[in-house]
Amino acid sequence: MSQATRERIERKLAEIGSLPTIPTLLVPLLQHLCEPAEDVSLDRVVKIISQDPSLAAQCLRMVNSPLFGVRYPIDTVRGAVMGLGVSRVRQIAMACSLLKAFSTKGAVPVRALWAHSLAVAMVAQKFAHEAGYPEPEQAYSAGLLHDLGILVALAACPAEFEGAAQAASREHRALYLCERELNGFDHGEIGAMLARRWRLPAPYQHVLQYHHDVEQAPEYRCLVAIVSLADVLCRLRSLGYGCEEIGFVDLAAEPAWALAAAELPKMRDFDLARFTLELDAFITEVEQSVTALFELV
Amino acid sequence: MANANLLSPTPTGLAAQAAAAQNPHLRKIRDLIYQVAGILQPDHKLQFLEDRCGRRLQQLKITSLRAYYDCLTMSSVRDDEMKELLNEITIGETCFFRNSPQLDALRTVVLPAILKNKSHLAYRHLRLWSAGCSTGEEAYTLAILLLQEREGTLKNVNVEVVATDLNLRSLEAAQAGVYGDYALRNVNPLMRQKYFIPAGERLAVKPEVKSLVKFSRLNLMDDARMTFMKGMDVIFCCNVMIYFDGVVRKRIVQHYYNNLLPNSYLFVGHAESLYGINNDFHLVHFPGATAYFKAEKRIGGGA
Repeated sequence: MSQATRERIERKLAEIGSLPTIPTLLVPLLQHLCEPAEDVSLDRVVKIISQDPSLAAQCLRMVNSPLFGVRYPIDTVRGAVMGLGVSRVRQIAMACSLLKAFSTKGAVPVRALWAHSLAVAMVAQKFAHEAGYPEPEQAYSAGLLHDLGILVALAACPAEFEGAAQAASREHRALYLCERELNGFDHGEIGAMLARRWRLPAPYQHVLQYHHDVEQAPEYRCLVAIVSLADVLCRLRSLGYGCEEIGFVDLAAEPAWALAAAELPKMRDFDLARFTLELDAFITEVEQSVTALFELV
Repeated sequence: MANANLLSPTPTGLAAQAAAAQNPHLRKIRDLIYQVAGILQPDHKLQFLEDRCGRRLQQLKITSLRAYYDCLTMSSVRDDEMKELLNEITIGETCFFRNSPQLDALRTVVLPAILKNKSHLAYRHLRLWSAGCSTGEEAYTLAILLLQEREGTLKNVNVEVVATDLNLRSLEAAQAGVYGDYALRNVNPLMRQKYFIPAGERLAVKPEVKSLVKFSRLNLMDDARMTFMKGMDVIFCCNVMIYFDGVVRKRIVQHYYNNLLPNSYLFVGHAESLYGINNDFHLVHFPGATAYFKAEKRIGGGA
């Protein structure tokens, strides 16, 4: 992005009243999510979520949705953590807190974008887990956040963004390429601006900015690569945001694969065929999660 | 996922998936099938697997999945029992246009890519092989798809479908080319009209479709004959290799690799994987489908 464009977008971001303010609990939750679920005390999770009563209430409604098939209504955050586990509940809390920050509508259906973000989160976590990345939960958060730039673009420069989104769906091309061609910048760069304003932890800033340019990432390349691979896989397995732009990918020949493999020895024997087939199990879960989430707003 | 004691007694949806996914013996049977036959039932298909195992349990008068797992691993009839179970899993799999993401990939990506590579040739030929064609549905599906592209991608291209099977009775049925509603369940009225003619209660494949397909008997384990199946652009081998053990599968897939031209593709069944069977092919992804790609040159050399 040129200096002039950057300044223009920054100005727009500053002007626009509807620019999302950071959800109060997002950074505490993200920091918390960097710690393995086993090491985290139940009390701390309960304490963080309970700080925001409306968030806590949303979490409880989500927990009691048909998605989880709980037999008795759960009416406390503590009960939710005991029933579903620390890891599930903090993931739910993060999704709820992000959803509260954005209420935009536009060319890219917001619901589909959420489905895609949830899917990338789940796939990135599974990939991280199976490839031996030490922090699968961090990969989950990174997946959930990776396309935040799209939501910001919808708020900050809707006309420009919609032009690119329409071109992408008309020409069956990747959204970020159309954005670069038509607007001179993409949702990665816009996402990075928001990430800096929100002071998100550095690994997430990198994921937002570089998930379409893994090789450009100065740090956290393995995490960025995992999210990038999960993103491609989701777009190929009916877990995209509606634009079917990819015709053919040799995933193991992608730069992201090589970058992740350089740090993760387990990827040498990775059974990608099996991994791909297993992803289809996520389709229903993602659909039901989004339905449950959107019933809250 | 969810704590077991919070699950309702008659779980539905995700909860039911989770319940099936939590059964350790079912998971062990799933992993065994994957290891032995390269066919995977993902978590959301475990209920289906449970149901199919149930049929075998009834037949064998066994009461638990645990005992059935032992039967599949330790009993003297374990190999036969695995074949029975695989039969249950793949039953009713054959029909026209069975795997549409795979066929979309063939139509929109694979055929144009192959022909682009042949664009310098004065005479362009395209050879598809339906290996283990059974009663012919897949072979005729490919022939119909080729006919549909005749005025587009395949203009001025000579096309043929080679279809082979071991079973003579299946081949006879395939050559007759007459099908009922079940086999035709994915064929819309327009296509029925265009590519089929009525034959009593059923429909027969039109001669123009038939003329593209050559059926012959072939044992995939016959190394001598396998060597002569040269010059293939695309091979479809769906739910066939599951009946061979790992050593034989490796040999068959190596034959496929040798028989394919450079820049060509091998498609296997929807739930099948060649993990650990062959390292020369590249697994490639299309929307909703995967295939094994033979590149121009082998990466990293090798024998």
